This record gives sequence, C-alpha cells and structure tokens, in this order.
Amino acid sequence: MSARIDMSLANDVQEVARVIDTLEEFGAENGVPAAQSLRFGLALDELITNIISYGLAGRSDGTISLAIEHRDGVLHAELADNGPPFDPLQAETTPPAGDIETREVGGLGLTIVKSFMDRLDYRRVDGFNRLTLEMNVKAA
Amino acid sequence: MTSLNHETVNGALVLKPARRIDSNSAKAFEDDAAALLENGPKKVVIDATDLDYISSAGLRVILTTAKKAKSAGGGLTIACAKNNVKEVLAVSGFDNIFGLHDSVAQAISALA
Repeated sequence: MSARIDMSLANDVQEVARVIDTLEEFGAENGVPAAQSLRFGLALDELITNIISYGLAGRSDGTISLAIEHRDGVLHAELADNGPPFDPLQAETTPPAGDIETREVGGLGLTIVKSFMDRLDYRRVDGFNRLTLEMNVKAA
Repeated sequence: MTSLNHETVNGALVLKPARRIDSNSAKAFEDDAAALLENGPKKVVIDATDLDYISSAGLRVILTTAKKAKSAGGGLTIACAKNNVKEVLAVSGFDNIFGLHDSVAQAISALA
C-alpha cells in the first residue's frame, strides 16, 4: 500500500502549520500513529524553517516543494528548495550542554532532525537542494 | 492582552500553552511570556498538559523566557509534558536544564 501528497510551499514561516496539519491528516488516513506523524512533521518543520529563515530569506523567487509518501511501513519525504547550496547533514549542531545562563539559544533544529529520522540524504541537483528523509513507522 | 493561557498559583506564574509551539507560534509565546513575567511572579512553570508539539523554535523561546526569569531572581521548570514533548526536551538536554515534573504543584515546590 502506498500513498503520496505533493505540496508547493510559499516562502513564509506560516506554511509550517499547514505542513504539520497535512502530516497529521495523511498519517491518520494511512494508519500511522499520531505521535509518529507529529515527529515526522517536526523534522520537516525544522528543515523548512531553516530554508525560509536563511536560504530563501528575502528572496521573491524562492521555491519550496515537498512530496510525502508512505510505503512499506516507512514515511518518506523529499524537500526541495532553490536557495544557495546547503547540506544540513554537514552543518554543525549544538552539543546539548550547559545550564540556563550558559546555554546558547539556537542550533537545536538539526539535532532534532538527525536524532528523529532513520535516514537522511542530501543532493544538489540543477540549482536545487534536495533532501530526502525517511522514518520507519513502528506499530503503536 | 495576551492569548497565552496563564494563572498565578502560590506565587508562581503558570503558563499553559495550547497544542503546538512551532516556528510560527513561538514569537507570540515569547512576547506574551515576557509581558506576563515583567508584571508578575518571576517563578515560572510551563504546564505542558495541552501541548502536543514543540519545535526548536519553541525550545528557544522557553530558554529565553527562563533566562529572563532567572536574571530577575526567579526560575523556570516544566510540568505534565507528554511523551512527544518529553522526547524533544530530552534530545536537546532541556529536561536536565529545567527539570520535568508530573504535576504543577510539584513543579512549584521545586522552584521554591
């Protein structure tokens, strides 16, 4: 059994809520436990927020597309944007250390993505960043 | 005016965010929390009973709120987090920084 949704996203952080809503609905239709749909939505939230806040900041020609698939017990997503080349898998993440006063604000998004996804792959193709995410769906 | 659900309990400011703190809603939380903190108690409990989802943008605004509370002589801790939210707090090490409590009452005593 497989199902797929294709979305075109505006270069606006408000789109994140629409992506999470879509994931919740898509997950429910495909028998994915709600907590896992939200977890997958969270990884997408982090990556899309980065694209909008940095890669495509101030760009009127910014393009973001997202394809979500569920097949063989795995959630897949392909996220593409026409921002400058950026491989989030090579980016530095903040080590989780420090107390309230010393802890730096920020740098956590990619830590969350890397720890919650089972497979991640980055390619730069024809002027687009293409990131593939996969998460194994576990029985509730 | 704030849309953030809140109350004062035994000298602590209890903030009860609804449903999600994502990159879109984080700013409103930060602004509301800052205004409440300025005019209210400096001991803050995040009551996460209704929270299903938090992103790094949400963690960031909780951290900025905690820094403000701490520098005003108070503190911040978290109560009633669901598993989904706990996972995110654990990955980021925020569970150790703030402490997680099973009830608001326990959280308030921990700040005393």
